[in-house]
Amino acid sequence: MKRKIVSLALAAALSMTLLAGCGKADGDKNAGTDTNDQNEDTTKPSEEGNAEGSVYYMNFKPEVDAIWQDIAKAYTTETGVPVKVVTAASGQYEATLRTEIAGTNAPTLFQINGPVGYESWKDYCLDLSDTDIYENLSDQSLAVTGEDGGVYGIPYTVEAYGIIYNNAIMDKYFALDGAVVKSTDEINSYDTLKAVVEDMTAKKAELGIEGVFASTSLLPGEDWRWQTHLANLPIYYEYKDKGVGDLAEIEFTYAENYKNVLDLYMDNSVSEKGLLGSVDVATSMAEFALGQCAMVQNGNWGWSQISEVSGNTVKAEDVKFMPIYFGVDDENQGLCIGTENFWSINSQASEENIKATKDFLTWLTTSDEGKGFMSKSTDEGGLGNAAPFTTFTEEERSSDPLAVEMYKWMESGKTSVSWNFTSFPSQTFKDNFGNALLEYANGNMSWDEVEAYVIEQWAAEKAAAAPQ
Amino acid sequence: MRNKLGKTLTYLVLIAVTVVVLFPLFFILLNSFKGKFFISKQPFDLPVGNLFVGLENYTNGLLKTGLLQAAGWSFFITVVSAGLLILFTSMTAYYLTRVKTAWTNALYFLFVFSMVVPFQMVMFTMVDLAGKLHLRNPLGMCILYLGFGAGLCVFMFAGFVKSIPMEIEEAAMIDGCNPLQNFARVVFPVLRPTAVTVAILQVMWIWNDYLLPYLVIGVSTPYKTIPVVIQMLVGTNGNKDMGALMAMLVLSILPIIIFYMACQKYIIEGVVAGAVKG
Amino acid sequence: MEKTLKKYFPVFVLPTLIAFSFSFLIPFIQGVYLSFCNFTTVGNAKWVGLSNYKLAFSAGEGFGRAFLFTAAFTLVAVVTINVLAFLVALLLTRKLRGTNFFRTVFFMPNLIGGIVLGYTWQQMINAVLHQHGVTIVSDPTYGFIGLVLLMNWQMVGYMMIIYIAGLQNVPGELIEAAQIDGATAMQTLFRVKIPMVMPSITICIFLTLSNSFKLFDQNLALTAGAPMKKTQMLALNIYDTFYGKNGYQGVGQAKAVVFFVIVAAIVVAQLLVTRRKEVEQ
Repeated sequence: MKRKIVSLALAAALSMTLLAGCGKADGDKNAGTDTNDQNEDTTKPSEEGNAEGSVYYMNFKPEVDAIWQDIAKAYTTETGVPVKVVTAASGQYEATLRTEIAGTNAPTLFQINGPVGYESWKDYCLDLSDTDIYENLSDQSLAVTGEDGGVYGIPYTVEAYGIIYNNAIMDKYFALDGAVVKSTDEINSYDTLKAVVEDMTAKKAELGIEGVFASTSLLPGEDWRWQTHLANLPIYYEYKDKGVGDLAEIEFTYAENYKNVLDLYMDNSVSEKGLLGSVDVATSMAEFALGQCAMVQNGNWGWSQISEVSGNTVKAEDVKFMPIYFGVDDENQGLCIGTENFWSINSQASEENIKATKDFLTWLTTSDEGKGFMSKSTDEGGLGNAAPFTTFTEEERSSDPLAVEMYKWMESGKTSVSWNFTSFPSQTFKDNFGNALLEYANGNMSWDEVEAYVIEQWAAEKAAAAPQ
Repeated sequence: MRNKLGKTLTYLVLIAVTVVVLFPLFFILLNSFKGKFFISKQPFDLPVGNLFVGLENYTNGLLKTGLLQAAGWSFFITVVSAGLLILFTSMTAYYLTRVKTAWTNALYFLFVFSMVVPFQMVMFTMVDLAGKLHLRNPLGMCILYLGFGAGLCVFMFAGFVKSIPMEIEEAAMIDGCNPLQNFARVVFPVLRPTAVTVAILQVMWIWNDYLLPYLVIGVSTPYKTIPVVIQMLVGTNGNKDMGALMAMLVLSILPIIIFYMACQKYIIEGVVAGAVKG
Repeated sequence: MEKTLKKYFPVFVLPTLIAFSFSFLIPFIQGVYLSFCNFTTVGNAKWVGLSNYKLAFSAGEGFGRAFLFTAAFTLVAVVTINVLAFLVALLLTRKLRGTNFFRTVFFMPNLIGGIVLGYTWQQMINAVLHQHGVTIVSDPTYGFIGLVLLMNWQMVGYMMIIYIAGLQNVPGELIEAAQIDGATAMQTLFRVKIPMVMPSITICIFLTLSNSFKLFDQNLALTAGAPMKKTQMLALNIYDTFYGKNGYQGVGQAKAVVFFVIVAAIVVAQLLVTRRKEVEQ
């Protein structure tokens, strides 16, 4: 009897694996992240010495994973060269890359975030100075270069971030009696922004919103909008004051301004402060898309997350940008524009794979199909990149509403804030900064403590990163 | 009378504990049928009315994670590894017990020693070595599990082999069996109860193991196991979906419960035996 | 017989030994060596002496804090799990009907893996805390309590089974004799039952001790160390050092060696205690 039960269990288990087999075939057709199965199979021959070569890209941005899978398929269909794209979990890029790159199927193409990233990965960065994509860069000074003069990272997009707002809700507010201002043009400084936001919070029932700002996502790994993007502003101004591009120790001169903006976000938010530790970026973008709030700090890449939310109420023409008014130089300050997205090719990959990867990048930046993928907006199945290559014509610019806004601000005569967070000491620094912000939101740390902690962590992590 | 009251009280306590034990499972089961936006706002409501979304979370989750495929690989790796472990470590334990030299003693000591060493100690170097030896695939995983499980298994088998009287083996040898035949026909059948214990302990460990498959096979291959897939579903926050998470948790737990129902007697006995010896 | 068997070394031992060298022997030796080196991959190691060990204990590394958290958690978990498991085992050895059913249900959580379990509990705890406008990462105390609850949920059933086996081995005559002598239930418990199940208690304490001390999966899934690594345990601290901090692989390896020494000390303590008990009996 007992034996029967065991054999029954075994039979059940066996049939489960059979089912699993069916599931696999199904999954391949539809799944997003897991479509690389077929590619994996086709990769095999090349590992065994086939001269064709293959491409393995470790993608940085979860929000465009599905599009990269399409690109891989399209390229393989056209050229027969297998392309595998894997997306690392948010906040796990470096860790995932570290385990993957030591493997036998190491990525051939990966991304570094600038000079600091290059320091970490220079053992794996190939000199790209003889490649087509470097030749075609519209501004070659944007590339990441090494001390030896080699080119190790090629930027593939220029991006902007600021405060994204829903113009429909703003118009509704301006129409109310006693509105502080009557149009977004009048919001041109931190003080007006604060006045407007606080007045909107007071009238949120009339506006039909749950808060002015989307929840400040402080879930670990989801806090980069604050510990990286917002943190860029005080550092930008501190560097500017001191006329430098990097510092071993900071004074965090503009900590107070940072706190003001952060408090504005958190005090006028959709969520209670205590819950912010469980909020991720996708949730706050969904809040914006569903019309539960009027504003959210994010970049032009966020358009895909807004448009993809089912039941979204925001129309493309209502999605606009305004600068993060910081109370320092509001008159002249524009959006934060720059890049931390550089492609690097794994120098330790095989010759064939390196060649295949170079060809793939050339295709992506010169062929019509490749350029289409690069620049089309995400709802049209493209990456929405504002690609900095001479091969892209005016018409081939990204058509994302936020990209359009970005060009508008770039041409408005205001000074764009450059991205200085590429010089932040390390991922650990950013994570610790984010952790401190969470503790601040939870009331376990005072702002003074956060300030002191950031200064101390900056110095400690800069010292740790210095060559030993 | 007093006795009866005591009995009722005991039952009440036991039922309360049962509720506590089963509650988390019901919690995820209920929420797996709710729309993803309702889970955090109304976690304890029943999935009825507009909260109810049918199997949507299940279909979404399966498409997103490839959990079925992961279940297949989990099953493959667990069964093959446990099989290898039982076969090879019982032979090794037998040899090390019957052949007494300084070398076999030293080797036995090394196996026992490995049980003490935490995984973090060898984690980094082991992954590197596995890469060089081309073991970062499902079959390679099975070989690595053979190595990792060897300590406990050799120890448990050796403890039992010592208690087998030499006489029966000697009789077999006189009948013209070589050591291999002798082991297969005489020794292994006696070891069977221990083999069941070992198998259960190893299956439980390998099926649930996260770090080794995560580090060795990684996230980029189609050979992910269930724990890796679950961790990725939560970790890949760009499209975190609470509903899918709940549904996938339910599906991950289901096979364990079925397996447990089918052979709970063996499992409980095996675990007790394993604990007492280990 | 031994002689013929000896020739069969390649068949009987070699397969296990090869696998064992791959996953344990070679990595272990490399690991000890690399703890004295600066490296990012095994190939590019440079000897630096003891500096990794110094760095491992520097304040910024959080290793000491992780140790304290781990020790506190282990202490609380070991006590609560064993007390609860023993109490439940007492109830289930009262020869009532249906004990088999309860035993089966109580043991079940032990079969569910740490990652799956961690997320299940994270969702549930957050659901409760949500009502009060906080989450599990709002305060390290929540994370601590959460881990203790989770660990109890998982391990009480397991320990209970071992205690039941122990209690069933207490000869019935002994208990009857005690009762005839007029011992109260409490006296029977403390004078007869507990001394008789001491071996089970030793086993359970060390099982819970080493399981709690080496905990990783549950820690990763429940809080991943948040907030500010205040709920980070030793194993997770080591993992984060290895994979989260470039250039700190050597420090991670040094921490792993220290971790190994602590775990080994616990095991040696267990052996000593067990041996002394055996001598006494």
